[in-house]
Amino acid sequence: MKRFLALALAVLMVAAMFAGCSGKKNYAANNTEYVIGVSGPLTGGAAIYGKAVQNAAQMAVDELNAAGGLNGIKFKLVAMDDKHDKTQVPTNYASLLEGGMQLSLGTVTTDPGKEFKNLAKEDNVFFLTPSASGDEIPEFDNGYQMCFADGNQGKVAAEFVSKNYAGQTIGLFYKSDDSYSKGIYDQFKANLSKDVKTVETSFSDANTTDFGTQVSTLKDCEFIFMPIYYQPATLFMTQAKSVLKADAVYYGCDGFDGIDSQEGFDINSIPQKVTMLSHFNSKATDGAAKTFIDKYVAKYGKDTLNQFGASAYDCIYALYGAMKKALDAGKEIPVTISADELCEILKEQFKGGYTYENGVTGEKITWDEKGYVDKSAIQYVIKEANQEAN
Amino acid sequence: MEVIVSTLINGLSLGGIYAMIALGYTMVYGIAKMLNFAHGDIIMVGGYTIFVAMAANNPLLAVLAAIIVCVVLGVTIEKVAYRPLRGASPLAVLITAIGVSYLLQSLAQIVFGSAPKMVTVYEFGSVEFLGTTMQVSSLVTLAVTVVVMTVLTLFVKCTRLGRAMIAVSEDRDAAQLMGINVNGIITITFAIGSSLAALAGLFYLLKAPNVSFTMGAMPGIKAFTAAVIGGIGSIPGAMLGGILLGVVESISYKITAIAPYTDAIEFSILILILLVKPTGFLGKKRREKV
Amino acid sequence: MRLGKVKINHYINYLVIGVMTLVLGIMSASGAGFDSSMLFLLEKIAISIILAVSLSLVVGFLGELSLGHAGFMCIGAYIGGKASALLVPSMGNGLVPLLIALVVGCAAAAVCGAIVGIPALRLRGDYLAIVTLAFGEIVKSLFLNTSEKTFGGTLGLDTPRYDKDYLFIIAFVLVLVTLAIVQNYIRSKHGRAVTAIRDNEIAARATGINVTKYKLLTFILSASLAGMAGVLYSYSNYNIQSLKFGYNYSIEILVMVVLGGMGNINGSIIAAVLITWLNTWLPTKLTGDLAVLQNLLYALVLIVIVIYNNAPKLKAFRDTYNFGALVKKFKKHDPAHINDDKAKWDVVPTKISMDEVLSVDFTPQNLGPDKKGGDK
Repeated sequence: MKRFLALALAVLMVAAMFAGCSGKKNYAANNTEYVIGVSGPLTGGAAIYGKAVQNAAQMAVDELNAAGGLNGIKFKLVAMDDKHDKTQVPTNYASLLEGGMQLSLGTVTTDPGKEFKNLAKEDNVFFLTPSASGDEIPEFDNGYQMCFADGNQGKVAAEFVSKNYAGQTIGLFYKSDDSYSKGIYDQFKANLSKDVKTVETSFSDANTTDFGTQVSTLKDCEFIFMPIYYQPATLFMTQAKSVLKADAVYYGCDGFDGIDSQEGFDINSIPQKVTMLSHFNSKATDGAAKTFIDKYVAKYGKDTLNQFGASAYDCIYALYGAMKKALDAGKEIPVTISADELCEILKEQFKGGYTYENGVTGEKITWDEKGYVDKSAIQYVIKEANQEAN
Repeated sequence: MEVIVSTLINGLSLGGIYAMIALGYTMVYGIAKMLNFAHGDIIMVGGYTIFVAMAANNPLLAVLAAIIVCVVLGVTIEKVAYRPLRGASPLAVLITAIGVSYLLQSLAQIVFGSAPKMVTVYEFGSVEFLGTTMQVSSLVTLAVTVVVMTVLTLFVKCTRLGRAMIAVSEDRDAAQLMGINVNGIITITFAIGSSLAALAGLFYLLKAPNVSFTMGAMPGIKAFTAAVIGGIGSIPGAMLGGILLGVVESISYKITAIAPYTDAIEFSILILILLVKPTGFLGKKRREKV
Repeated sequence: MRLGKVKINHYINYLVIGVMTLVLGIMSASGAGFDSSMLFLLEKIAISIILAVSLSLVVGFLGELSLGHAGFMCIGAYIGGKASALLVPSMGNGLVPLLIALVVGCAAAAVCGAIVGIPALRLRGDYLAIVTLAFGEIVKSLFLNTSEKTFGGTLGLDTPRYDKDYLFIIAFVLVLVTLAIVQNYIRSKHGRAVTAIRDNEIAARATGINVTKYKLLTFILSASLAGMAGVLYSYSNYNIQSLKFGYNYSIEILVMVVLGGMGNINGSIIAAVLITWLNTWLPTKLTGDLAVLQNLLYALVLIVIVIYNNAPKLKAFRDTYNFGALVKKFKKHDPAHINDDKAKWDVVPTKISMDEVLSVDFTPQNLGPDKKGGDK
């Protein structure tokens, strides 16, 4: 028996080494529409981001289809739930691809995106992510970002602080086990001028809700940089509102988006000033952003209105624009084109200086050769300091 | 100096919450001889009850509602899930408790959604103390914990019911023979433990006005750690362990270099203490019967 | 059932898994090629089986509850993954680096198994459960806070992914290896010693069984196999993050063991396959708010099964209405058949009575042969 077992194992090992290679299949052969796939958190703690992307992208797709699609061929958006858990991504990715996905918005958040970019590289699937802001997401030539990379946000914030707070002490508050927060923090520290002193504090574990220690550490700071998501931020602010100076300033990155629409949290109860660095102003009163906000709120309400959605909306139009440009240049994009072939066409466009104009998140949006987006950021004041609130 | 004072105060109030939860753990463990893994999730249910009841905008009413709901829930869980397993292997009981914990979490997720809810129960404001600003709610937490501990100790030592509890915890069979209603005592223990969990939920909300379906998980585990450190089954031990853990956590978060390792540090303390003194600081040594 | 001299019951799981792997391997080799989703599922199933079988060793056979199994897996994944990340650039992504990574990962996990095993000698029951839980959380937290260059920190460790067309075959070969190790261990005299310790530690000690040695050995074995699963996991992902290996994952593995019937290896395997498949299949069916139902379902099933299997009052009910009795009803009694394998060491139910476990004297020297003269 033992000998038989050993033999069987050996045979299997050999089989493993010489197993044949399966060729790349074109799963889109039966498509009747261009299929765009996206994986994002539709449930769980980060669901607000995934929902925003799904809604806004669907809205863009509906608009395009209503206008006749691309040369009469319509688009279809397929969104899958990854619960912000990267272990869900391989399954999601495979079912998207096998369901006929030809191009993709990648993932909504960074952590799952790290798995996604590699899988997409294997099959050569083009993706333009609206909000997975990790520096390494566009590592390969088939990945592009619509949002600012974390490193970039950290750098811009560091420049702002170095210029305005030279010689002063500022507070830093980040989440040590989150790659988004840590990524921005690292770049911020690396680019901060030497004459700005910092007081740092951090937290870990998504279930942390008590920030007593952190609040007392930062209580004398007049400027607090918080590269974290808005939920812990609101908790921090609530616990710190009477401890901190009333004229202190909170400065967040795109994770702050949605802070003023969180249920049960009244931002006006916070006396301090709250600002964020973003490419989208959800209170915009003119331009493309205003048009988008009106349409979005009419369709899906205010709850999920944030820059993730705006960015996703731009992504769909940018992809559409690039495909249209390729068509105009004489390329053929049949509805059953494989993801691989479409990827080559889109790569050529994005590398060749494709510019997406009049977007919701930027006037003139271009991409550099690494896949990072190039557009201007705005420092957006969510709420001015108000003394009377306290 | 200021830093030390504020860190200590933070630690003490956090420790008060841990102690409150640990008291519940220790009572249940001491008397029912089981690790009630779902204890942390009863805190969560208490939190959500307060969240719902605060619609009436009456904090006292909300707390009362939370205590009632938690007591009913705790007793029901004991009746439905744990009692049938009395006499079965402790492994089976522990796994059932884990199942109950997950059940409560997913029920909460279904009813209230996965996004955390914010609720402000009552604003105590803050006072100046030794040059540092401190939250009055921290003081309240600490004071209530001390009172609860004292009352519990007196209750167990001086009342008939309390002595019956000790008897059940010492030797269940003998207690039964002496005419003590063992099941009744265990039910009462669960009721007390659950009401303490409701109070702990309240203090959590006073500290951080946030309810989510996972809010009880980590505090529950840490409080159990506290109970073990203090010596499980011992009421002052739970208090001691809770305060110790809270202070350690607070200090660790204060030191930037080790802040990310806070959880690891707390759990390492647990392992070390169990290795050196397996019964915790104030735990009683038990002999194995054959 | 006997097949010649070989007891087929003892080898049925090798046979089923081996034949299935061969068939799938040949199908894959013949160019049919599976869809990625199928390949990913097969890899996950293999990893789950290894984890469940190795945890079953501690929970089912040694009778100790470990809530930190994912912690050992984490160590295997990080150490093995790091080894492969270092080796692959120079050696190519082949079998050799994979084997080295497996050895390194297993060894690292085994060392940690010994570290946790030592307190396990002094603690029992709930205390041990909490120590293993603490261990899992410590491991998770340590790897999460490493620097970016060593283990990737919060960004996770980038690990080479093995060609997905072959990895599932290797994974199932490793399942067979795991089964061989675990089943041979359990069916040997060592295994009988382990179950003896589970059923009554003091009696086992009295008969001269070296309790310390066997407890430690079982812990180390279980940990190193979990480490192996970890290495496999690192090879099936491009990036691993220690957050994944928390308490929840340990519980998921425990659920597999419990649902399979504690101490029943085949049951654990079936439960592992079923749960892993459900984990990938259910989310495609239960979308949106319904997704939570999955957890609710697991929790309910867990509670009901444990109560049904363990409640003392349901014992009579269980004896009349169980699967075995059902089968017997339909099977003619064969008088020539002699049931010679009464002592099935791998299916002995856990039966530690309450006071034996809960009144523990924690000083080992007092645990020696009974001094009080058995009053029970």
